[in-house]
Amino acid sequence: MYGRKASELVKEFASVEHGQIFTFNNDLFAQVLEECDGHLLHLQPLMRKIQEHEDKLKDKNRSQEEIGTSEDEMSKSQAEKTLIQNALKSDQFGALVHHLSLVRNKRCLMAYVYKRAEVIRSLGWMVDSVLPEEIQEKLSTSEKEYFKNHAATLQSYMAELDLHLTVDMIPPKDPYIKVRVLDDIGEIALSDQVANLARHAIMFLRRTDAEQYITQGQMEELTG
Amino acid sequence: MDSGAGESSAADDYESLMSTTDAELLKSAWRNEKAAPEILNYAADLVQRSRQQIQLMEEMVEDYINDGVDPLTVSLYQIDLDRTMFLLRSYLRTRLQKIEKYVFHIQKTAEEWNRLSKQEQKFASRFAGDIKHHLDQSVLSRLPDQYQSHLRQSAASEEDDMVPEPQLDSYVVCRSKKYLGAYQLDDGGQELINIEADDLYALPYKSIKPLVESGQVDLV
Repeated sequence: MYGRKASELVKEFASVEHGQIFTFNNDLFAQVLEECDGHLLHLQPLMRKIQEHEDKLKDKNRSQEEIGTSEDEMSKSQAEKTLIQNALKSDQFGALVHHLSLVRNKRCLMAYVYKRAEVIRSLGWMVDSVLPEEIQEKLSTSEKEYFKNHAATLQSYMAELDLHLTVDMIPPKDPYIKVRVLDDIGEIALSDQVANLARHAIMFLRRTDAEQYITQGQMEELTG
Repeated sequence: MDSGAGESSAADDYESLMSTTDAELLKSAWRNEKAAPEILNYAADLVQRSRQQIQLMEEMVEDYINDGVDPLTVSLYQIDLDRTMFLLRSYLRTRLQKIEKYVFHIQKTAEEWNRLSKQEQKFASRFAGDIKHHLDQSVLSRLPDQYQSHLRQSAASEEDDMVPEPQLDSYVVCRSKKYLGAYQLDDGGQELINIEADDLYALPYKSIKPLVESGQVDLV
């Protein structure tokens, strides 16, 4: 059935939880693209045939007008005309089916790539311009490139505004939060102090300072 | 709020004074932007003023710390500062996300394009380039010739039929600041609704769009 593979592709995307991402399904993707080419191969000869039929019909009409023929010949040519018209119709519908399948496949492919790009962008808000290895593996080459380009675009916007937008993702309750350091980050100059962020240290930090480390998984917030 | 007539004028004065401070204005700009399906006008002056105030407050907090003012006072100012920062950032972020979502639509409608700030326009152009390149590379360049547009389904389409557009008839929850009287919903129906001050209404965004733009109604 036409269009089944494309719909599988979209369903696969839809089946993951919102904001998560599967490995780019290269196989299926390529198959759908192949199907598109297949449709085109069917479509082209059909279009040509449609053109031929139309030309023939025009010829018939012209010859009918030009020469006043006997009734016998008239009905013969009428029968031929119906024949051509029927063939024309069936070719037109055939072409339409292939055209619509192609369009549908295109939309599915576009939706797949576009929606994935949305997820990739939303990841970009959470991690600062470097994607973790596990996610990198799931992306296609073009997607990796896209992520880099998008991060650069965002960076240049923020630089122009001179305002960092990737912090402060949740409404603040308290300017300071309690965190546990999960990684040896070392001596860092924070906005209000110079702190030695050694592994397992529990400290009280400015939320804006801590947030970037939390999103990168180098710290965790201790609540309660 | 239906309080007694006598004391209400003082309360109203206070209310109206409060609702015109930049903090309140920023809050309502942020809320409107969050709730509206389409991108709204960029509050250029407001952002400008808020950033100046933030800077002033940052300096003030720093001075307080150096002067050894009561830590509780400092921390209250700090919280206020953090909240304003959050509002501002979230406001700008929300706009960026809307631009990302509807970039091709915004690009081709001059009216919406003009609602963006200079920087946002630059961002939108670059962003559109990025996503187009990505789509081209992954899908479009591998499709047959007549099907390579990122705006149209095929060369046979007469207009752009593949551009995501904001759903202007989606419902939004809104609240009016004052009594607006009978208001004609913009859907051809005869129905008039009375918009009372401080009541909540769920209406199609399209029909109250002018009220949102003129600031008479806030989205919630």
